[in-house]
Amino acid sequence: MGNIRSLGDIELLASRIRNHVLNMYLHDQSLHLGSSLSSVEILAILMFKYLRRSSDPINRDWLILSKGHAAPTLYAALAESGLISIKELEKIHDISSILQGHPEISVPGVDMSTGSLGQGLSFGVGIATGIKIRGGRGRVYVVMGDGEQDEGEVWEAITHAATRKLDNLVVIVDNNGFQLDGSTEDIKPKHYLPYVWRIVGWKVIMCDGHSIASLDRAINEALSSNMPTAIFAKTIRGKGVVEIENTKIQKPGVDSAKRAILNA
Amino acid sequence: MLIVLKELSSMREALGRTLVYLGEVDRDLIVITADVGDSTRASYFRDRFPERYFNVGIAEQHMVNFAAGLAATGMKPLVVSFAMFLMRAWEQIRNTTARMNLNVKFIATHAGYSDSVDGSSHQALEDIALMRVIPSMSVIVPADAYEVRRSLPEMVLSGKGPIYYRIGRDYSPPITKDLEGEFKIGKASILRDGEDVAIIGAGVVLWSALEASKELERMGISAAVINMSTIKPIDEEIIERYARKTGAIVTIEEHSIYGGLGSAVAEIVVSKYPVPMRILGAKAFGRTARSHEELIEYFGLGKSSVVKAVIEVIKGAGRDRDA
Repeated sequence: MGNIRSLGDIELLASRIRNHVLNMYLHDQSLHLGSSLSSVEILAILMFKYLRRSSDPINRDWLILSKGHAAPTLYAALAESGLISIKELEKIHDISSILQGHPEISVPGVDMSTGSLGQGLSFGVGIATGIKIRGGRGRVYVVMGDGEQDEGEVWEAITHAATRKLDNLVVIVDNNGFQLDGSTEDIKPKHYLPYVWRIVGWKVIMCDGHSIASLDRAINEALSSNMPTAIFAKTIRGKGVVEIENTKIQKPGVDSAKRAILNA
Repeated sequence: MLIVLKELSSMREALGRTLVYLGEVDRDLIVITADVGDSTRASYFRDRFPERYFNVGIAEQHMVNFAAGLAATGMKPLVVSFAMFLMRAWEQIRNTTARMNLNVKFIATHAGYSDSVDGSSHQALEDIALMRVIPSMSVIVPADAYEVRRSLPEMVLSGKGPIYYRIGRDYSPPITKDLEGEFKIGKASILRDGEDVAIIGAGVVLWSALEASKELERMGISAAVINMSTIKPIDEEIIERYARKTGAIVTIEEHSIYGGLGSAVAEIVVSKYPVPMRILGAKAFGRTARSHEELIEYFGLGKSSVVKAVIEVIKGAGRDRDA
Protein backbone atom coordinates (compact mmCIF):
# COMPACT_ATOMS: atom_id res chain seq x y z
CA MET A 1 0.00 0.00 0.00
CA GLY A 2 1.42 3.35 -1.06
CA ASN A 3 0.48 6.36 0.98
CA ILE A 4 -1.27 5.44 4.20
CA ARG A 5 -2.03 8.70 5.94
CA SER A 6 -3.87 9.50 9.13
CA LEU A 7 -7.52 10.43 8.78
CA GLY A 8 -6.63 13.87 10.11
CA ASP A 9 -4.14 14.35 7.25
CA ILE A 10 -6.80 13.33 4.78
CA GLU A 11 -9.26 15.80 6.25
CA LEU A 12 -6.66 18.49 5.73
CA LEU A 13 -6.07 17.34 2.15
CA ALA A 14 -9.83 17.37 1.54
CA SER A 15 -10.09 20.98 2.61
CA ARG A 16 -7.15 21.89 0.37
CA ILE A 17 -8.88 20.11 -2.54
CA ARG A 18 -12.12 22.00 -1.81
CA ASN A 19 -10.21 25.27 -1.88
CA HIS A 20 -8.54 24.35 -5.17
CA VAL A 21 -11.96 23.64 -6.68
CA LEU A 22 -13.32 26.98 -5.47
CA ASN A 23 -10.25 28.72 -6.82
CA MET A 24 -10.70 27.00 -10.18
CA TYR A 25 -14.25 28.30 -10.14
CA LEU A 26 -12.95 31.83 -9.70
CA HIS A 27 -10.95 31.32 -12.91
CA ASP A 28 -13.78 29.73 -14.86
CA GLN A 29 -17.39 29.89 -13.73
CA SER A 30 -18.55 27.31 -16.25
CA LEU A 31 -17.46 24.32 -14.18
CA HIS A 32 -20.01 22.16 -12.34
CA LEU A 33 -19.25 23.53 -8.89
CA GLY A 34 -22.11 22.07 -6.86
CA SER A 35 -21.55 18.48 -8.00
CA SER A 36 -17.77 18.83 -7.72
CA LEU A 37 -18.01 19.92 -4.09
CA SER A 38 -20.09 16.91 -3.03
CA SER A 39 -17.34 14.52 -4.19
CA VAL A 40 -14.39 16.10 -2.34
CA GLU A 41 -14.10 13.77 0.67
CA ILE A 42 -14.88 10.65 -1.41
CA LEU A 43 -12.07 11.34 -3.86
CA ALA A 44 -9.70 12.51 -1.11
CA ILE A 45 -9.88 9.31 0.92
CA LEU A 46 -9.72 7.05 -2.12
CA MET A 47 -6.74 8.87 -3.57
CA PHE A 48 -4.75 9.39 -0.36
CA LYS A 49 -5.50 6.27 1.62
CA TYR A 50 -6.61 3.41 -0.59
CA LEU A 51 -5.40 3.82 -4.14
CA ARG A 52 -2.25 1.80 -4.95
CA ARG A 53 -0.68 3.11 -8.14
CA SER A 54 1.59 1.15 -10.47
CA SER A 55 2.12 0.73 -14.19
CA ASP A 56 1.05 -2.93 -14.00
CA PRO A 57 -2.61 -2.92 -15.06
CA ILE A 58 -3.59 -5.91 -12.92
CA ASN A 59 -1.59 -5.23 -9.75
CA ARG A 60 -2.66 -1.67 -9.23
CA ASP A 61 -5.92 -0.01 -8.24
CA TRP A 62 -8.14 1.88 -10.66
CA LEU A 63 -10.16 4.99 -9.89
CA ILE A 64 -12.97 5.67 -12.31
CA LEU A 65 -14.88 8.90 -12.01
CA SER A 66 -18.09 7.87 -13.70
CA LYS A 67 -19.68 11.20 -12.74
CA GLY A 68 -17.16 12.94 -14.97
CA HIS A 69 -18.62 16.40 -14.35
CA ALA A 70 -16.82 16.35 -10.97
CA ALA A 71 -13.57 16.57 -12.95
CA PRO A 72 -12.36 19.69 -11.07
CA THR A 73 -12.27 17.70 -7.82
CA LEU A 74 -10.37 14.87 -9.49
CA TYR A 75 -7.86 17.34 -10.98
CA ALA A 76 -7.39 19.05 -7.61
CA ALA A 77 -6.73 15.69 -5.95
CA LEU A 78 -4.28 14.74 -8.72
CA ALA A 79 -2.49 18.04 -8.17
CA GLU A 80 -2.27 17.42 -4.43
CA SER A 81 -0.82 13.97 -5.12
CA GLY A 82 1.79 15.53 -7.42
CA LEU A 83 0.64 13.92 -10.68
CA ILE A 84 -0.14 17.29 -12.25
CA SER A 85 1.07 20.74 -11.25
CA ILE A 86 -1.03 22.89 -8.92
CA LYS A 87 -0.39 25.77 -11.33
CA GLU A 88 -2.25 23.86 -14.06
CA LEU A 89 -5.50 23.93 -12.05
CA GLU A 90 -6.16 27.60 -12.76
CA LYS A 91 -5.97 26.87 -16.47
CA ILE A 92 -8.93 24.47 -16.39
CA HIS A 93 -11.03 24.72 -19.59
CA ASP A 94 -8.44 26.96 -21.23
CA ILE A 95 -7.71 25.88 -24.79
CA SER A 96 -4.03 25.47 -23.94
CA SER A 97 -4.67 23.38 -20.82
CA ILE A 98 -4.53 19.59 -20.43
CA LEU A 99 -7.56 19.86 -18.13
CA GLN A 100 -10.60 19.11 -20.27
CA GLY A 101 -14.14 19.75 -19.12
CA HIS A 102 -14.52 16.06 -18.36
CA PRO A 103 -11.69 13.64 -17.47
CA GLU A 104 -9.56 12.26 -20.29
CA ILE A 105 -6.82 9.68 -19.99
CA SER A 106 -4.33 12.10 -21.50
CA VAL A 107 -4.19 13.69 -18.03
CA PRO A 108 -1.72 11.81 -15.77
CA GLY A 109 -3.61 9.79 -13.16
CA VAL A 110 -6.92 9.67 -15.02
CA ASP A 111 -7.90 6.02 -15.55
CA MET A 112 -10.92 6.42 -17.81
CA SER A 113 -12.16 9.11 -20.16
CA THR A 114 -15.65 9.84 -18.92
CA GLY A 115 -18.27 12.54 -19.30
CA SER A 116 -21.14 10.51 -20.70
CA LEU A 117 -23.06 9.26 -17.68
CA GLY A 118 -23.69 5.63 -16.83
CA GLN A 119 -20.59 4.16 -18.50
CA GLY A 120 -17.99 4.00 -15.74
CA LEU A 121 -19.36 0.97 -13.91
CA SER A 122 -19.38 -1.30 -16.97
CA PHE A 123 -15.78 -0.33 -17.66
CA GLY A 124 -14.93 -1.06 -14.03
CA VAL A 125 -16.62 -4.47 -14.22
CA GLY A 126 -14.47 -5.22 -17.27
CA ILE A 127 -11.28 -4.21 -15.47
CA ALA A 128 -12.17 -6.15 -12.31
CA THR A 129 -12.89 -9.20 -14.47
CA GLY A 130 -9.63 -8.82 -16.41
CA ILE A 131 -7.70 -8.59 -13.12
CA LYS A 132 -9.36 -11.82 -11.91
CA ILE A 133 -8.66 -13.69 -15.15
CA ARG A 134 -4.99 -12.70 -15.07
CA GLY A 135 -4.62 -13.40 -11.36
CA GLY A 136 -3.84 -9.83 -10.32
CA ARG A 137 -4.38 -8.18 -6.96
CA GLY A 138 -5.68 -4.82 -8.19
CA ARG A 139 -8.97 -3.32 -7.06
CA VAL A 140 -11.38 -1.08 -8.92
CA TYR A 141 -13.10 1.94 -7.37
CA VAL A 142 -15.93 3.54 -9.32
CA VAL A 143 -17.36 6.87 -8.17
CA MET A 144 -20.86 7.41 -9.51
CA GLY A 145 -23.49 10.10 -9.18
CA ASP A 146 -26.99 9.40 -7.94
CA GLY A 147 -28.48 11.05 -11.02
CA GLU A 148 -26.68 8.71 -13.39
CA GLN A 149 -28.40 5.75 -11.74
CA ASP A 150 -31.24 6.58 -14.16
CA GLU A 151 -29.18 5.20 -17.06
CA GLY A 152 -30.22 1.74 -18.24
CA GLU A 153 -26.61 0.67 -18.61
CA VAL A 154 -26.19 0.89 -14.83
CA TRP A 155 -28.81 -1.82 -14.42
CA GLU A 156 -27.03 -3.91 -17.06
CA ALA A 157 -23.76 -3.49 -15.19
CA ILE A 158 -24.90 -4.15 -11.62
CA THR A 159 -26.73 -7.33 -12.61
CA HIS A 160 -23.70 -8.63 -14.52
CA ALA A 161 -21.19 -7.72 -11.78
CA ALA A 162 -23.30 -9.58 -9.22
CA THR A 163 -23.20 -12.79 -11.27
CA ARG A 164 -19.38 -12.56 -11.44
CA LYS A 165 -19.01 -12.07 -7.65
CA LEU A 166 -16.37 -9.39 -8.16
CA ASP A 167 -14.99 -8.84 -4.66
CA ASN A 168 -12.34 -6.50 -6.10
CA LEU A 169 -14.93 -3.93 -7.17
CA VAL A 170 -16.13 -1.06 -4.95
CA VAL A 171 -18.65 1.55 -6.06
CA ILE A 172 -19.20 4.78 -4.15
CA VAL A 173 -22.38 6.61 -5.05
CA ASP A 174 -22.12 10.33 -4.34
CA ASN A 175 -25.68 10.62 -3.12
CA ASN A 176 -26.15 14.39 -3.24
CA GLY A 177 -29.86 14.29 -4.03
CA PHE A 178 -29.71 16.38 -7.19
CA GLN A 179 -29.47 15.87 -10.92
CA LEU A 180 -29.16 18.46 -13.66
CA ASP A 181 -32.73 19.73 -13.71
CA GLY A 182 -33.56 19.55 -10.00
CA SER A 183 -33.84 17.30 -6.97
CA THR A 184 -33.83 13.56 -7.55
CA GLU A 185 -37.04 13.25 -5.56
CA ASP A 186 -38.81 15.58 -7.99
CA ILE A 187 -37.35 14.08 -11.16
CA LYS A 188 -37.04 10.39 -10.43
CA PRO A 189 -36.89 9.16 -6.82
CA LYS A 190 -33.78 7.24 -5.84
CA HIS A 191 -34.64 6.10 -2.29
CA TYR A 192 -35.14 2.50 -3.43
CA LEU A 193 -31.72 2.19 -5.08
CA PRO A 194 -29.79 0.69 -2.13
CA TYR A 195 -32.46 -2.03 -1.90
CA VAL A 196 -32.23 -2.69 -5.63
CA TRP A 197 -28.44 -3.05 -5.55
CA ARG A 198 -28.67 -5.34 -2.52
CA ILE A 199 -31.34 -7.65 -3.86
CA VAL A 200 -29.41 -7.98 -7.12
CA GLY A 201 -26.43 -9.34 -5.19
CA TRP A 202 -24.27 -6.47 -4.00
CA LYS A 203 -23.19 -5.73 -0.47
CA VAL A 204 -24.60 -2.28 0.32
CA ILE A 205 -23.21 0.10 2.93
CA MET A 206 -24.55 3.53 3.84
CA CYS A 207 -22.26 6.27 5.09
CA ASP A 208 -21.74 10.01 5.51
CA GLY A 209 -19.94 11.16 2.37
CA HIS A 210 -18.41 14.21 4.01
CA SER A 211 -17.01 12.39 7.04
CA ILE A 212 -13.57 10.93 6.37
CA ALA A 213 -14.03 8.56 9.32
CA SER A 214 -17.42 7.32 8.08
CA LEU A 215 -16.11 6.83 4.55
CA ASP A 216 -13.05 5.04 5.93
CA ARG A 217 -15.16 2.55 7.90
CA ALA A 218 -17.35 1.90 4.87
CA ILE A 219 -14.45 1.33 2.46
CA ASN A 220 -12.71 -0.93 4.99
CA GLU A 221 -15.83 -3.01 5.30
CA ALA A 222 -16.16 -3.14 1.51
CA LEU A 223 -12.64 -4.48 1.15
CA SER A 224 -13.34 -7.41 3.45
CA SER A 225 -16.51 -8.37 1.56
CA ASN A 226 -16.62 -11.41 -0.70
CA MET A 227 -18.94 -9.73 -3.18
CA PRO A 228 -19.00 -6.42 -5.04
CA THR A 229 -19.85 -3.55 -2.72
CA ALA A 230 -21.75 -0.33 -3.24
CA ILE A 231 -21.35 2.47 -0.71
CA PHE A 232 -24.16 4.99 -0.77
CA ALA A 233 -22.46 8.10 0.60
CA LYS A 234 -24.91 10.81 1.67
CA THR A 235 -23.52 14.13 0.54
CA ILE A 236 -24.53 17.75 0.15
CA ARG A 237 -24.46 19.26 -3.28
CA GLY A 238 -22.42 22.47 -3.17
CA LYS A 239 -20.85 21.52 0.19
CA GLY A 240 -18.88 24.47 1.53
CA VAL A 241 -20.68 27.24 -0.35
CA VAL A 242 -23.61 28.07 1.93
CA GLU A 243 -25.62 29.85 -0.78
CA ILE A 244 -25.86 26.78 -3.01
CA GLU A 245 -25.78 23.92 -0.50
CA ASN A 246 -28.54 21.41 -1.14
CA THR A 247 -29.80 23.21 -4.22
CA LYS A 248 -29.49 22.49 -7.91
CA ILE A 249 -27.51 25.72 -8.39
CA GLN A 250 -24.11 25.03 -9.95
CA LYS A 251 -22.96 28.62 -10.26
CA PRO A 252 -22.96 30.83 -7.16
CA GLY A 253 -21.78 34.42 -7.32
CA VAL A 254 -18.03 34.84 -7.35
CA ASP A 255 -18.24 36.57 -3.97
CA SER A 256 -19.88 33.53 -2.40
CA ALA A 257 -17.06 31.35 -3.67
CA LYS A 258 -14.49 33.79 -2.31
CA ARG A 259 -16.20 33.79 1.09
CA ALA A 260 -16.22 30.01 1.09
CA ILE A 261 -12.45 29.97 0.53
CA LEU A 262 -11.94 32.36 3.46
CA ASN A 263 -14.24 30.33 5.72
CA ALA A 264 -12.59 27.03 4.96
CA MET B 1 -6.25 -24.70 -39.71
CA LEU B 2 -8.58 -27.26 -41.24
CA ILE B 3 -11.88 -25.88 -42.40
CA VAL B 4 -13.83 -28.05 -44.81
CA LEU B 5 -15.52 -26.53 -47.84
CA LYS B 6 -19.05 -27.01 -46.56
CA GLU B 7 -18.34 -24.63 -43.69
CA LEU B 8 -17.07 -22.00 -46.07
CA SER B 9 -20.50 -21.68 -47.61
CA SER B 10 -21.74 -19.76 -44.54
CA MET B 11 -20.44 -16.50 -43.15
CA ARG B 12 -21.22 -17.26 -39.52
CA GLU B 13 -19.93 -20.84 -39.73
CA ALA B 14 -16.64 -19.47 -41.01
CA LEU B 15 -16.69 -16.96 -38.14
CA GLY B 16 -17.33 -19.58 -35.45
CA ARG B 17 -14.66 -21.97 -36.75
CA THR B 18 -12.08 -19.25 -37.17
CA LEU B 19 -12.74 -17.93 -33.66
CA VAL B 20 -11.90 -21.37 -32.26
CA TYR B 21 -8.68 -21.44 -34.26
CA LEU B 22 -7.78 -17.96 -32.97
CA GLY B 23 -8.58 -18.99 -29.40
CA GLU B 24 -5.89 -21.65 -29.67
CA VAL B 25 -3.37 -19.24 -31.14
CA ASP B 26 -3.85 -16.37 -28.70
CA ARG B 27 -4.67 -17.13 -25.06
CA ASP B 28 -5.54 -13.50 -24.31
CA LEU B 29 -8.56 -13.53 -26.63
CA ILE B 30 -11.93 -13.14 -24.93
CA VAL B 31 -15.25 -13.49 -26.73
CA ILE B 32 -18.20 -11.48 -25.41
CA THR B 33 -21.80 -11.67 -26.56
CA ALA B 34 -25.14 -10.31 -25.46
CA ASP B 35 -27.03 -13.61 -25.59
CA VAL B 36 -26.51 -14.34 -29.28
CA GLY B 37 -23.78 -16.96 -28.93
CA ASP B 38 -25.71 -19.64 -30.79
CA SER B 39 -26.98 -17.40 -33.59
CA THR B 40 -23.56 -15.89 -34.30
CA ARG B 41 -21.68 -19.21 -33.85
CA ALA B 42 -19.57 -17.60 -31.12
CA SER B 43 -20.89 -20.69 -29.32
CA TYR B 44 -18.08 -22.72 -30.92
CA PHE B 45 -15.62 -20.60 -28.98
CA ARG B 46 -17.77 -20.91 -25.84
CA ASP B 47 -17.77 -24.71 -26.06
CA ARG B 48 -13.99 -24.82 -26.48
CA PHE B 49 -12.90 -22.01 -24.12
CA PRO B 50 -15.73 -21.51 -21.60
CA GLU B 51 -13.43 -19.60 -19.22
CA ARG B 52 -12.77 -16.98 -21.90
CA TYR B 53 -16.34 -16.55 -23.05
CA PHE B 54 -18.82 -14.10 -21.50
CA ASN B 55 -22.52 -13.85 -22.20
CA VAL B 56 -23.41 -10.60 -20.40
CA GLY B 57 -27.12 -11.09 -20.96
CA ILE B 58 -29.22 -8.99 -23.34
CA ALA B 59 -27.27 -5.84 -22.52
CA GLU B 60 -25.34 -4.37 -25.44
CA GLN B 61 -24.35 -1.06 -23.83
CA HIS B 62 -22.77 -2.82 -20.89
CA MET B 63 -21.20 -5.41 -23.19
CA VAL B 64 -19.28 -2.72 -25.04
CA ASN B 65 -17.88 -0.96 -21.97
CA PHE B 66 -17.21 -4.29 -20.22
CA ALA B 67 -15.07 -5.19 -23.23
CA ALA B 68 -13.32 -1.82 -23.01
CA GLY B 69 -12.44 -2.52 -19.37
CA LEU B 70 -11.04 -5.95 -20.25
CA ALA B 71 -8.94 -4.34 -22.98
CA ALA B 72 -7.56 -1.86 -20.43
CA THR B 73 -6.11 -4.78 -18.46
CA GLY B 74 -4.37 -6.18 -21.55
CA MET B 75 -6.90 -8.80 -22.64
CA LYS B 76 -8.04 -8.87 -26.27
CA PRO B 77 -11.84 -8.75 -26.28
CA LEU B 78 -13.87 -9.64 -29.37
CA VAL B 79 -17.42 -8.35 -29.08
CA VAL B 80 -19.72 -10.54 -31.18
CA SER B 81 -23.19 -9.17 -31.81
CA PHE B 82 -25.87 -8.69 -34.43
CA ALA B 83 -24.84 -5.52 -36.31
CA MET B 84 -28.19 -3.90 -35.64
CA PHE B 85 -28.14 -4.35 -31.88
CA LEU B 86 -24.54 -3.28 -31.55
CA MET B 87 -25.65 0.09 -32.94
CA ARG B 88 -27.67 0.50 -29.75
CA ALA B 89 -24.29 0.96 -28.07
CA TRP B 90 -22.92 3.43 -30.64
CA GLU B 91 -22.35 6.07 -28.00
CA GLN B 92 -20.49 3.62 -25.75
CA ILE B 93 -18.32 2.57 -28.69
CA ARG B 94 -17.63 6.20 -29.54
CA ASN B 95 -17.14 7.66 -26.09
CA THR B 96 -15.31 4.88 -24.30
CA THR B 97 -13.59 2.43 -26.67
CA ALA B 98 -12.80 4.81 -29.50
CA ARG B 99 -11.89 7.89 -27.48
CA MET B 100 -9.42 5.83 -25.47
CA ASN B 101 -8.32 3.98 -28.63
CA LEU B 102 -8.70 0.62 -26.88
CA ASN B 103 -8.02 -2.71 -28.50
CA VAL B 104 -11.61 -3.90 -28.84
CA LYS B 105 -12.75 -5.68 -32.01
CA PHE B 106 -16.44 -5.51 -32.88
CA ILE B 107 -17.61 -8.47 -34.92
CA ALA B 108 -21.05 -7.62 -36.26
CA THR B 109 -23.08 -10.40 -37.83
CA HIS B 110 -26.48 -10.57 -39.58
CA ALA B 111 -25.73 -7.26 -41.35
CA GLY B 112 -27.42 -6.01 -44.50
CA TYR B 113 -30.46 -8.08 -45.57
CA SER B 114 -28.88 -11.33 -44.38
CA ASP B 115 -31.34 -11.84 -41.55
CA SER B 116 -34.04 -12.09 -44.17
CA VAL B 117 -36.88 -13.66 -42.17
CA ASP B 118 -36.53 -11.40 -39.13
CA GLY B 119 -37.29 -8.32 -41.19
CA SER B 120 -36.39 -4.67 -40.98
CA SER B 121 -35.88 -4.53 -37.19
CA HIS B 122 -32.91 -6.87 -37.61
CA GLN B 123 -31.45 -5.63 -40.90
CA ALA B 124 -28.58 -3.19 -40.32
CA LEU B 125 -28.26 -0.88 -43.33
CA GLU B 126 -26.77 2.10 -41.49
CA ASP B 127 -23.92 0.59 -39.49
CA ILE B 128 -21.03 1.27 -41.87
CA ALA B 129 -21.88 4.96 -41.90
CA LEU B 130 -22.20 5.06 -38.12
CA MET B 131 -18.87 3.34 -37.56
CA ARG B 132 -16.99 5.13 -40.32
CA VAL B 133 -17.52 8.56 -38.76
CA ILE B 134 -15.77 7.60 -35.52
CA PRO B 135 -12.18 8.94 -35.69
CA SER B 136 -10.12 5.99 -34.43
CA MET B 137 -12.37 3.25 -35.89
CA SER B 138 -11.46 1.00 -38.84
CA VAL B 139 -14.17 -0.78 -40.85
CA ILE B 140 -13.78 -4.15 -42.57
CA VAL B 141 -16.44 -5.89 -44.67
CA PRO B 142 -15.32 -9.30 -45.94
CA ALA B 143 -16.92 -10.47 -49.18
CA ASP B 144 -17.61 -14.09 -48.34
CA ALA B 145 -16.78 -16.95 -45.99
CA TYR B 146 -13.41 -17.49 -47.68
CA GLU B 147 -12.50 -13.93 -46.92
CA VAL B 148 -13.68 -14.31 -43.33
CA ARG B 149 -11.16 -17.12 -42.96
CA ARG B 150 -8.40 -15.00 -44.51
CA SER B 151 -9.18 -11.68 -42.87
CA LEU B 152 -10.33 -12.51 -39.35
CA PRO B 153 -6.91 -13.72 -38.11
CA GLU B 154 -5.24 -10.64 -39.62
CA MET B 155 -7.82 -8.33 -38.03
CA VAL B 156 -7.70 -9.98 -34.60
CA LEU B 157 -3.96 -10.62 -34.34
CA SER B 158 -2.53 -7.59 -36.17
CA GLY B 159 -5.29 -4.97 -36.34
CA LYS B 160 -4.59 -1.85 -34.29
CA GLY B 161 -7.15 -0.15 -32.04
CA PRO B 162 -10.91 -0.50 -32.42
CA ILE B 163 -12.13 -2.24 -35.58
CA TYR B 164 -15.66 -2.86 -36.84
CA TYR B 165 -15.85 -6.15 -38.73
CA ARG B 166 -19.12 -6.70 -40.59
CA ILE B 167 -20.50 -9.95 -41.93
CA GLY B 168 -23.88 -11.42 -42.85
CA ARG B 169 -25.52 -14.62 -41.69
CA ASP B 170 -25.30 -17.66 -43.99
CA TYR B 171 -25.53 -16.70 -47.67
CA SER B 172 -22.03 -16.61 -49.06
CA PRO B 173 -21.51 -17.03 -52.80
CA PRO B 174 -17.89 -17.97 -53.64
CA ILE B 175 -16.62 -14.47 -54.46
CA THR B 176 -13.03 -14.78 -53.28
CA LYS B 177 -12.65 -18.55 -53.51
CA ASP B 178 -9.88 -18.29 -56.09
CA LEU B 179 -8.29 -15.16 -54.70
CA GLU B 180 -4.64 -15.59 -53.84
CA GLY B 181 -2.37 -13.68 -51.53
CA GLU B 182 -2.71 -12.56 -47.96
CA PHE B 183 -5.43 -10.30 -46.67
CA LYS B 184 -4.09 -6.88 -45.73
CA ILE B 185 -6.13 -4.27 -43.86
CA GLY B 186 -6.50 -1.23 -46.10
CA LYS B 187 -5.75 -3.11 -49.36
CA ALA B 188 -8.47 -3.77 -51.91
CA SER B 189 -8.30 -6.77 -54.24
CA ILE B 190 -9.10 -6.96 -57.93
CA LEU B 191 -11.53 -9.79 -58.58
CA ARG B 192 -11.60 -9.13 -62.30
CA ASP B 193 -9.79 -6.55 -64.37
CA GLY B 194 -11.43 -4.29 -66.93
CA GLU B 195 -11.06 -1.10 -68.99
CA ASP B 196 -14.43 0.63 -69.38
CA VAL B 197 -15.84 0.84 -65.87
CA ALA B 198 -14.80 -0.06 -62.32
CA ILE B 199 -17.41 -1.73 -60.12
CA ILE B 200 -16.30 -1.33 -56.52
CA GLY B 201 -18.17 -3.34 -53.93
CA ALA B 202 -18.09 -4.80 -50.44
CA GLY B 203 -19.78 -7.89 -49.06
CA VAL B 204 -21.82 -10.62 -50.73
CA VAL B 205 -23.36 -8.25 -53.31
CA LEU B 206 -20.03 -8.39 -55.11
CA TRP B 207 -21.50 -11.58 -56.55
CA SER B 208 -24.01 -9.41 -58.46
CA ALA B 209 -21.09 -7.35 -59.77
CA LEU B 210 -19.23 -10.46 -60.94
CA GLU B 211 -22.35 -11.84 -62.63
CA ALA B 212 -23.02 -8.45 -64.23
CA SER B 213 -19.46 -8.20 -65.51
CA LYS B 214 -19.99 -11.41 -67.54
CA GLU B 215 -23.15 -10.03 -69.12
CA LEU B 216 -21.45 -6.70 -69.81
CA GLU B 217 -18.62 -8.53 -71.51
CA ARG B 218 -21.13 -10.05 -73.93
CA MET B 219 -22.31 -6.48 -74.63
CA GLY B 220 -18.73 -5.40 -75.33
CA ILE B 221 -18.20 -3.56 -72.04
CA SER B 222 -15.12 -4.48 -70.06
CA ALA B 223 -15.80 -4.07 -66.34
CA ALA B 224 -13.27 -4.30 -63.53
CA VAL B 225 -14.64 -5.66 -60.24
CA ILE B 226 -12.86 -4.49 -57.09
CA ASN B 227 -13.40 -5.94 -53.61
CA MET B 228 -13.07 -3.03 -51.20
CA SER B 229 -13.08 -5.16 -48.07
CA THR B 230 -11.54 -2.42 -45.95
CA ILE B 231 -13.86 0.57 -46.07
CA LYS B 232 -11.77 2.53 -43.58
CA PRO B 233 -8.90 3.22 -44.01
CA ILE B 234 -9.89 2.97 -47.68
CA ASP B 235 -7.48 2.01 -50.47
CA GLU B 236 -7.17 5.46 -52.05
CA GLU B 237 -4.51 4.37 -54.49
CA ILE B 238 -6.65 1.74 -56.22
CA ILE B 239 -9.63 4.11 -56.42
CA GLU B 240 -7.59 6.82 -58.12
CA ARG B 241 -5.89 4.30 -60.41
CA TYR B 242 -9.21 2.86 -61.61
CA ALA B 243 -10.84 6.30 -61.90
CA ARG B 244 -8.04 7.24 -64.28
CA LYS B 245 -8.04 3.92 -66.07
CA THR B 246 -11.80 3.43 -66.60
CA GLY B 247 -13.27 6.93 -66.26
CA ALA B 248 -16.49 5.60 -64.66
CA ILE B 249 -17.29 4.00 -61.31
CA VAL B 250 -20.25 2.05 -59.92
CA THR B 251 -20.29 1.11 -56.25
CA ILE B 252 -22.43 -1.59 -54.68
CA GLU B 253 -23.07 -2.37 -51.04
CA GLU B 254 -25.69 -3.90 -48.79
CA HIS B 255 -26.04 -0.64 -46.90
CA SER B 256 -27.63 2.76 -47.20
CA ILE B 257 -26.49 4.87 -50.12
CA TYR B 258 -25.77 7.54 -47.50
CA GLY B 259 -22.47 7.31 -45.69
CA GLY B 260 -21.33 3.84 -46.69
CA LEU B 261 -18.89 2.46 -49.25
CA GLY B 262 -20.29 4.58 -52.09
CA SER B 263 -19.85 7.76 -50.09
CA ALA B 264 -16.35 6.72 -49.04
CA VAL B 265 -15.32 6.06 -52.65
CA ALA B 266 -16.91 9.33 -53.80
CA GLU B 267 -14.95 11.26 -51.17
CA ILE B 268 -11.73 9.99 -52.75
CA VAL B 269 -12.89 10.33 -56.35
CA VAL B 270 -13.89 14.01 -56.01
CA SER B 271 -10.55 14.97 -54.53
CA LYS B 272 -8.22 12.79 -56.64
CA TYR B 273 -9.76 12.37 -60.07
CA PRO B 274 -13.47 13.18 -60.53
CA VAL B 275 -15.34 10.79 -62.82
CA PRO B 276 -19.08 9.97 -63.11
CA MET B 277 -20.29 7.54 -60.44
CA ARG B 278 -23.40 5.55 -59.56
CA ILE B 279 -23.96 4.40 -55.99
CA LEU B 280 -26.03 1.24 -55.56
CA GLY B 281 -27.33 0.55 -52.08
CA ALA B 282 -30.33 0.70 -49.80
CA LYS B 283 -32.77 3.61 -49.95
CA ALA B 284 -35.32 2.33 -47.43
CA PHE B 285 -35.72 -0.01 -44.48
CA GLY B 286 -35.62 -3.69 -45.34
CA ARG B 287 -38.42 -6.24 -45.12
CA THR B 288 -38.99 -9.93 -44.58
CA ALA B 289 -38.41 -12.57 -47.21
CA ARG B 290 -37.65 -16.25 -47.09
CA SER B 291 -34.18 -15.81 -48.53
CA HIS B 292 -31.39 -13.27 -48.48
CA GLU B 293 -30.91 -13.57 -52.26
CA GLU B 294 -34.54 -12.55 -52.90
CA LEU B 295 -34.04 -9.37 -50.87
CA ILE B 296 -30.86 -8.47 -52.73
CA GLU B 297 -32.82 -8.71 -55.97
CA TYR B 298 -35.92 -6.98 -54.55
CA PHE B 299 -33.98 -3.94 -53.32
CA GLY B 300 -32.17 -3.41 -56.61
CA LEU B 301 -28.81 -4.95 -55.86
CA GLY B 302 -28.97 -7.88 -58.26
CA LYS B 303 -27.12 -8.45 -61.51
CA SER B 304 -29.56 -6.51 -63.73
CA SER B 305 -29.38 -3.42 -61.53
CA VAL B 306 -25.61 -3.41 -61.83
CA VAL B 307 -25.77 -3.77 -65.63
CA LYS B 308 -28.23 -0.87 -65.81
CA ALA B 309 -26.08 1.36 -63.58
CA VAL B 310 -22.97 0.61 -65.63
CA ILE B 311 -24.67 1.54 -68.89
CA GLU B 312 -25.97 4.78 -67.32
CA VAL B 313 -22.62 5.78 -65.88
CA ILE B 314 -20.80 5.12 -69.13
CA LYS B 315 -23.38 7.31 -70.92
CA GLY B 316 -22.77 9.97 -68.28
CA ALA B 317 -19.08 9.79 -69.01
CA GLY B 318 -19.90 10.59 -72.64
CA ARG B 319 -18.59 7.28 -73.85
CA ASP B 320 -21.80 5.54 -74.82
CA ARG B 321 -20.88 5.68 -78.52
CA ASP B 322 -17.56 4.02 -77.78
CA ALA B 323 -19.28 1.20 -76.00
